[in-house]
Amino acid sequence: MTEPPREPASRRSFLRRSTALAALGAATGRHVVAAHTTEEAPAKPKVIDCHAHLHHRSRPSWGADDAALIDAADRLGIDVLCCSMLTPKRPATAEGFRECNRWTAEGAKRFPGRVLGYAYVNPGCGAEAVDEVRRCVLGYGFIGVKLYNEYFCTDPVVFPIIEAAIELGVPVLHHAGRIHYPLADQPRISDGGRIAELAARYPKARLICAHVCGGGDWEWTIKALRHAPSVYLDTSGSVLDDAVIEMAAKVLGVDRLLFGCDMSMTHGVGRIRGADLPDDAKAQILGGNMARLLAGRVR
Amino acid sequence: MILDVNAYLGPFAFRPLRNNTGPSLVALMDAKGIDRAVVSSAAAITYRNAQAGNEELAAEVRGRADRLIPFAVVNPAYAGWRDDLEACRQLGFRGLRLYPKWHRYALTDPACLELVDAATEMGMPISIPMRVEDVRNRSWLIDVPEVPLAEVAALVAARPDARFLLLNGAGYANGPLGRKDSGLPANYLIEISRMDSVLTDEIGRLVAGLGADRLAFGTGMPFHYPDPSLLKLETLRVDEADRRRIAWGNAAAWLGLG
Repeated sequence: MTEPPREPASRRSFLRRSTALAALGAATGRHVVAAHTTEEAPAKPKVIDCHAHLHHRSRPSWGADDAALIDAADRLGIDVLCCSMLTPKRPATAEGFRECNRWTAEGAKRFPGRVLGYAYVNPGCGAEAVDEVRRCVLGYGFIGVKLYNEYFCTDPVVFPIIEAAIELGVPVLHHAGRIHYPLADQPRISDGGRIAELAARYPKARLICAHVCGGGDWEWTIKALRHAPSVYLDTSGSVLDDAVIEMAAKVLGVDRLLFGCDMSMTHGVGRIRGADLPDDAKAQILGGNMARLLAGRVR
Repeated sequence: MILDVNAYLGPFAFRPLRNNTGPSLVALMDAKGIDRAVVSSAAAITYRNAQAGNEELAAEVRGRADRLIPFAVVNPAYAGWRDDLEACRQLGFRGLRLYPKWHRYALTDPACLELVDAATEMGMPISIPMRVEDVRNRSWLIDVPEVPLAEVAALVAARPDARFLLLNGAGYANGPLGRKDSGLPANYLIEISRMDSVLTDEIGRLVAGLGADRLAFGTGMPFHYPDPSLLKLETLRVDEADRRRIAWGNAAAWLGLG
């Protein structure tokens, strides 16, 4: 069967747009930023993916996979990727997370201006974990801390990490999910309620609740964070559900939302492009809010 | 031209959906540049009597046949399914959607095979969503697994004359459904909404391994934002002829759209 005659251009424009420009909408794309270099045009905020990962070097294709991540960012109009690297086996040892962080620092050098590092640590390693956070932020220039599910975020063993992050002025991106069934492989996964509880204990902490679109019941998570004004919500994840961004904007406010992909690249970008929000709100989510967070780092 | 083979109308049991009426879905399609969409009843997924959902859908689609193409949700484990299929044919339904896990039957049960044969006789393609929601999002009330791709492969092998649209799936590229040399008949199209066109690039790997003539555009709207799938279509590294096949041509040929 042959394709019928083409309809007016307005209904077919998707396939002909410049990919990167179309990816994030006319107001916010990386290439738009590049175009706004004349004096009369103010620079738009960069598009910053708050949740990405470089690939562990136990993976034979790690170099090509990291390059593919940058290629994906190029094609989707993402300027900066905030990356961590997790150990393949967890709970991580101190030696394991130090190695990951060293490789993340090398990745930031390989892709200058495109990759920023989070320090990944296992809080159970005590002083070694705290020291690693300081070393990564002050030595490598990392922009934050990444915590996974070795402990609930409200376990006291986590508190020294949070206190170090406050002192250094960096955000803590915390793995999170609210699944209404027990997760056998993640018995200590934190949810939005626990992150809100941690925020109440440490109101000066800059906490980011990870991947609302990959963390189970997103309506629960958004509602749980409502009264925790210091907690930001990372919009990343593979789940394509409609209306997440609009509900989060309504309940939490646009200024608490951070664009992310967590490696689900077209999903992460597409849901922001599709959200029924004004362009300036999207620009805040895509990079403005994260840029503000990054500006707090002690140098 | 863009044809979405994976769209829905009506309410869903576990969360509110926007743009789930005939007029509002068409308005969304207009806003996103989607020309036509294959729709089925979201309510029929959880109704005991799925035919009630089909009748609601028929009312929503009426007068919008130039944009919305109705598919019927038929449960071959439920009384009267043969009557329902015939009623849907008379109402102008153009294909089927099957929910074997939600409706608790196996794709290779005799009754399901009889349904597939009857639909094929009527010229109806059969679509199978691998899932409705991400398993992590499911309500505490239910524990419905995804349809395993191996069960789908067994069905497409068992019924080579039928035509299948595989929706809301991923992981094809690593198995027999994603390879030309697997010995499976070329009687299925794979819809792209859950796969990516960059980084892991499963869509690109399927183009290489199976062929661009075996893929179809779909969004999952209004369960899903349609924009991620549009973005996949835009960023996919294929020539424009292949992009048009995926966006429209492959599925349009099966649906007899001129």
